Amino acid sequence: MSHECSGACPRLKRDAASEPLPYLDRLIDLEKGSLSRRVYWDRQIYDQELEKIFARSWLFLAHESQLPNAGDYLTTYMAEDNVIVVRQKDGSIKAFLNTCPHRGNKLNFTDAGHARSFVCNYHGWSFGIDGALRGMAGQQLFEASGMNASEHGLHPVAQVASYKGLVFGNMDPDAPSLTEWLGDFRFYLDVMLDMDGQGTEFVGGCVKSVINCNWKVPVENFIGDIYHALWTHDSAARAMLGGPVAEVYNDPESYHVNFNGHGWEFNLDVVGNAATLGDKEIRKYLYGIQSTVAERLGEFRSKMIGSISSVSVFPNLSFLPGQNTFRVWHPRGPGKIELHTWTIVNRSAPQDIKDRWLKGTMMTFSPSGVFEMDDGENFEFSTRTNAGFVTRQQDLYMGLGLDTQLTDTDLPGNVYRNQVNEANHRAFYQRWADLMGARSWNEVPQRDEASLQESAFDHEEPKVNA
Amino acid sequence: MNANAEVVPCDDRLIGHEVTYQFEQFLYREARLLDSERWEDWLALMTDDIHYWMPAIENRRRADKLGSYAPGRGAYFDDNHFDLQRRVARFMQPSAWAEDPPTRHVHVISNVEVCPTETANEYRVHSVFVNYRSRGEADNDLLLGRREDVLRDTEVGLRIARRKIIITQSLLMSKNINTFF
Repeated sequence: MSHECSGACPRLKRDAASEPLPYLDRLIDLEKGSLSRRVYWDRQIYDQELEKIFARSWLFLAHESQLPNAGDYLTTYMAEDNVIVVRQKDGSIKAFLNTCPHRGNKLNFTDAGHARSFVCNYHGWSFGIDGALRGMAGQQLFEASGMNASEHGLHPVAQVASYKGLVFGNMDPDAPSLTEWLGDFRFYLDVMLDMDGQGTEFVGGCVKSVINCNWKVPVENFIGDIYHALWTHDSAARAMLGGPVAEVYNDPESYHVNFNGHGWEFNLDVVGNAATLGDKEIRKYLYGIQSTVAERLGEFRSKMIGSISSVSVFPNLSFLPGQNTFRVWHPRGPGKIELHTWTIVNRSAPQDIKDRWLKGTMMTFSPSGVFEMDDGENFEFSTRTNAGFVTRQQDLYMGLGLDTQLTDTDLPGNVYRNQVNEANHRAFYQRWADLMGARSWNEVPQRDEASLQESAFDHEEPKVNA
Repeated sequence: MNANAEVVPCDDRLIGHEVTYQFEQFLYREARLLDSERWEDWLALMTDDIHYWMPAIENRRRADKLGSYAPGRGAYFDDNHFDLQRRVARFMQPSAWAEDPPTRHVHVISNVEVCPTETANEYRVHSVFVNYRSRGEADNDLLLGRREDVLRDTEVGLRIARRKIIITQSLLMSKNINTFF
């Protein structure tokens, strides 16, 4: 899926890397489990995040199902950079900065659509879906000025690649491949993306909202914080389930797992998350496909398909198995995000089940959702308190589950006992600090070594007995 | 309002001033119930077959046949009576932390048009709302939209049988929607 742009992409200039923050090592103490509140507030830290995290991480762009045909496009963000993602005639997907390289106007003002070309509103410069500059009014004058149109196409995102339907982009031509970036975390991603070999799709379009919080607050919440659910979401659980959130504190079969700063917290109750949608048809569907999943991914992972769990993929993609909300927290300065949410379903699911899931995610995890309603308030005030000059000099506790790492397990990645844990928070901030402290990829420590072969993600078709 | 605009004719010659006045008063009272957090009383104004729908709005070209919203796409509300009951149930929980201390609401209702339908006891009623919510010290959220209702004249008074809510924002500039419209 990656396009031709290796190392020396002439259309995407980048400043030389800036010096890392000199006080970086004082922000996080992973052995003690503490975190400086400054990471949520300081502009200087945020500016470094744009450069050292977002402009060289693999960021979620689209689900392939959103762009079925050549010319289908959508616009989205890579941090604060607006991009167009478009399906090419050869079936590949490319992405470009959504701006005209002539005088810099925004090129496309829609969220999504179908196009044969993109024409700038300002002077009418026209670009092909491949990004090439096709022409403009008064073309002969530009030619007489010595302009070479082939040098003035749209600025391409340096790398674009897919994993089982999810399209990611990376602004850094030197970044490691998506395969390497996700690594063994794909073992867990397959629980969501590859239950039956038919893949997934997005249904219902994108719902967008603004939350006045630092982007890392919700990422932390999804990467490993089931702990909050018992308290924060008591009201929603009573409304949807008729009782409190399940007591997960002492679940003997629950885990935190992480790899390269991506994290998944889960238990093995199959449908605990799905149950919060309050729709028994969805639970029946999950139980119905569980044996198929077990055949394909094994018994263990078949119990994760809708269980009490939550996931973040570094840096800012999150989802909830079972509830099937899929979301990106786009940063808008240190104290603000734009939240984009979709509903992800198995492509093979009956239409009625897809409709029920779409409705269920809106009812629970959308701005009007009974669960999300209480999250937004927490996210905003976990950020805003740090406006206090003295307040933000204080540290936060992040030591839950120190010493819970399991060494005698067959599960890939770093594995911890008990999903009520902050192991994934610590892993996220380890990865964050590693990138924030590195001028180049050579300086990024390789902490997590992939142990699985590529064939581990290439599942045989399930054997169907006639 | 945009690509989905459909100006259905409204033959209000058949509707007397007195009837229009009754509908307006009904909608104002409904708004006051919401502003007073009388959620269950508000819910009692819905018929059992209510469809309460507030689609998410997309920016699409005028020529794009998909339009800016449609049934089956994203929605903030796509609710039947049971769904609304659940939302009300959450508001009523003492552990609805984001409602305590309470949010202060105002719903301003205007531009009321009452139109007859082919069903004798049902009326298509258009209105617009301005909703302003304040929480805590400085949380202020403004949302405006148009509503298209089907109001049914029943033995126990007017009831809301269908409500379509079209807001102006495509990017919701608020962290949540902890109210109804």
